[in-house]
Amino acid sequence: MITFENVTKRYPDGTVAVDSLDLEVPDGKIMVLVGPSGCGKTTSLRMINRLVEPTSGRILLDGTNVLDAKPSQLRRGIGYVIQQTGLFPHRTIEDNIATVPFLNGVARRQARERARDLMQLVGLDAATMARRYPYQLSGGQQQRVGVARALAADPPVLLMDEPFSAVDPIVRATLQDELIRLQAELHKTVVLVTHDVEEAIKVGDQVAVFRPGGHLAQVDSPERLLGAPVDDYVRDFVGFDRGIRRLSFFPATDLVLATQTVLPGTTTAADAIAVARRENEAWVLVTDTGRAPRGWLAVADLQALPPATRIADVGMAPIGHTFRPDTDSLRAALDATILSRTERAVAVDDNGQVLGTTSYERLRTAIAAAEDAADRGAQPAVGTPQVEQAEGVH
Amino acid sequence: MEWSWIPQNWTAIWQYTLDNALLGLIPPVIGLLISVPAGIACVLWGWLYPPVLSLSSAIYALPSLALFVVLIDYTGLGNLTVIIPLALFSLCILIPTVVDGLRSVPDSVRQAATAMGFTQVRRLVQVELPLAVPVIIAGMRVAVVSSISLASVGQLIGVSSLGYFFIDGFQRDFPTEIYVGLALTIALALVCDLILVTLRAVLTPWSRGRQRDSSRAVAAVAVGTEA
Amino acid sequence: MSFLQFAWDWLKSSSQWSGPDGIPIRVLQHLGYTALSVLIAAVIALPIGLLIGHYRRGGFAAVNVANVWRAIPTLGLLILMVVLLGFSALTWLIPLVVLAIPPILVNTYEGVAGVDEDLKDAARGMGMTQWQVLWKVELPVAIPLIMLGLRTSAIFVVATATIAAEIGLGGLGRYIIDGLASNNYGEVAGGAVVIVVLALAVQVIFVGLRRLVVPTGLREQARASR
Repeated sequence: MITFENVTKRYPDGTVAVDSLDLEVPDGKIMVLVGPSGCGKTTSLRMINRLVEPTSGRILLDGTNVLDAKPSQLRRGIGYVIQQTGLFPHRTIEDNIATVPFLNGVARRQARERARDLMQLVGLDAATMARRYPYQLSGGQQQRVGVARALAADPPVLLMDEPFSAVDPIVRATLQDELIRLQAELHKTVVLVTHDVEEAIKVGDQVAVFRPGGHLAQVDSPERLLGAPVDDYVRDFVGFDRGIRRLSFFPATDLVLATQTVLPGTTTAADAIAVARRENEAWVLVTDTGRAPRGWLAVADLQALPPATRIADVGMAPIGHTFRPDTDSLRAALDATILSRTERAVAVDDNGQVLGTTSYERLRTAIAAAEDAADRGAQPAVGTPQVEQAEGVH
Repeated sequence: MEWSWIPQNWTAIWQYTLDNALLGLIPPVIGLLISVPAGIACVLWGWLYPPVLSLSSAIYALPSLALFVVLIDYTGLGNLTVIIPLALFSLCILIPTVVDGLRSVPDSVRQAATAMGFTQVRRLVQVELPLAVPVIIAGMRVAVVSSISLASVGQLIGVSSLGYFFIDGFQRDFPTEIYVGLALTIALALVCDLILVTLRAVLTPWSRGRQRDSSRAVAAVAVGTEA
Repeated sequence: MSFLQFAWDWLKSSSQWSGPDGIPIRVLQHLGYTALSVLIAAVIALPIGLLIGHYRRGGFAAVNVANVWRAIPTLGLLILMVVLLGFSALTWLIPLVVLAIPPILVNTYEGVAGVDEDLKDAARGMGMTQWQVLWKVELPVAIPLIMLGLRTSAIFVVATATIAAEIGLGGLGRYIIDGLASNNYGEVAGGAVVIVVLALAVQVIFVGLRRLVVPTGLREQARASR
């Protein structure tokens, strides 16, 4: 655990970079420090590994003041990733990664083996890349090496200073996903600095929003930040569409899906119309024998057909967009609904089989429930998708 | 141009070439051995550099013949009288070279090294110095080529080098010697230059992608020091 | 007697300070050769350097020229000139000018080519012609390096003019060459002292010149970035 106790950093010319900062970084979580330029987030980060020393206050790493340890020893136990990577141009990729183990006296062969393992971990092919030089790699690849290098000595703490700001948005998104995946495996205590609030919300378990002048405005989970910004500054900083973006944090498992209007292709038009009337729905979803979705049919169109027609043989409206309740959020479900011409989205499982459908009405209910629960401080429930209790035609 | 003169005087030609080579190579090596620690000191204690730079600019401005002459009193008329001033000139070239080379290391690399737990000394030796090698070799090229060509001036005070052929050819009105002397001096310089270029390529396989920087470095060093 | 004693004795004697062989005349000669050669070299090298620097072409060639130039032994070149041209004014002028050109050329090129592309872009974007960009933007920024080139050039010319006494040129080198020939060590020592003083004086002149010519903003920036 990293603790900032009333930490202030004042420079000789009078500028105050960090002002009386109190912050606790929980173990095994990603804490993102976010804010505009000059707000003290980078300075704060660099006080943890003592690249900058506080003017007053203490920074504690697992209870010990960082100023008490010998700097070079302190830093060998902390991984550090920066925007320009800082890879050593004169060393191969594997030797770059093995830098801290070499410093710690680990044998060459062992350190290089570990380096190659780490390359695989961060998604680089060790066989082709281990003996290359940094200048031969792309920006995204170099940054992966930077992360591998920071992890080489298996430090409990990882500091990242705008690590993904220098790459293009597509690569950035990939690297962010990689970080989330890595963290799920490694559970490091990560402190990441960024000026991009989207990145903070996507990647962070906890987000600390800084004000210019080195003050903390709010420290909260991303969902709380979106749902309950503490003042106008935070509200403006977090940006538009807070409500919709917040929905990313509510799992779609809470959605109650409609299942009665999901009908196999063998159903007759007459039966389909009957079901639709009973459920008071204007559309039915046609599935094939494997229960994969095939298309939508409007009840109005069904009425024009001979009653015994199999619905599979009728021209259908496209299924639009699907979503997966087990992994997606309410935001994805809402998005899928908006994008479908029929104003209904299809929920599928990981095999592509239909679980049910949803509509604006059902989403409205689920969203209200999720927001209520979140506001009351409860965790959104994680469970199996809920289906309507009713007999149906299957 | 009498071509037959060459094989007839092969031993002398070889001897003087060797003499010139020694006078041209020893001073830069001495310069290098002194300038690396001196340059490191100037980087570690920045306040040292401006006075060192001013001093070296002043010394570099002094004509070599004058310096040779000054030393006669102290080191007689032997090789040392030429070697010492040439070594001084090499120092004037190499100290700024070493400092520039160390400073040319990207900030991000230095910061990353510190953050990983390198002590200052270790970082200098394992990270900054290796990265400064291309620039330092560029400086060595200048120092070596200058020393080889300046060595011939020593002939004016009797110190043996390829300059012998210039003086002798001049006095005997025998142009062949002069041509040979010129050709050999230039050839010797260019061969040493080539050897250093090859050395750089061997020592820095990682800078293949950065050829432009080294020619820049040569240009910058090639033409003077700034006070 | 030590070197300094020899020098002091020789310098003390009043006969050194008057007449056609006197120190003042020789100093003027030496300065004259230097100024003339550097001037001619500048007239040739500055325009070329500005042009190739502005269009960023030929830099590679310029750098290699500088490398080859360094390899040329000045004594040999001077003597070669005598063989080819006999004893005339051009005999020493040509080698001095030729040796003076590369530092000016390379430094001018580096100075102009090294101007930030963004700066040039902004200037062109404001509607400046190529000529105006060169004159108003690149040249002022390149002045420090151009001055360095002129200064370096002067160093080499002063040194080479000293050696040129061997082929009969006047100037301060005469004292060393004549003194060595006649075993007059006092003359040799005294001459060396005067040359050293002159060389340093030339440097001081250039430092002063630089202060005058280089725009203050650039000077402070250079000092801050060191």
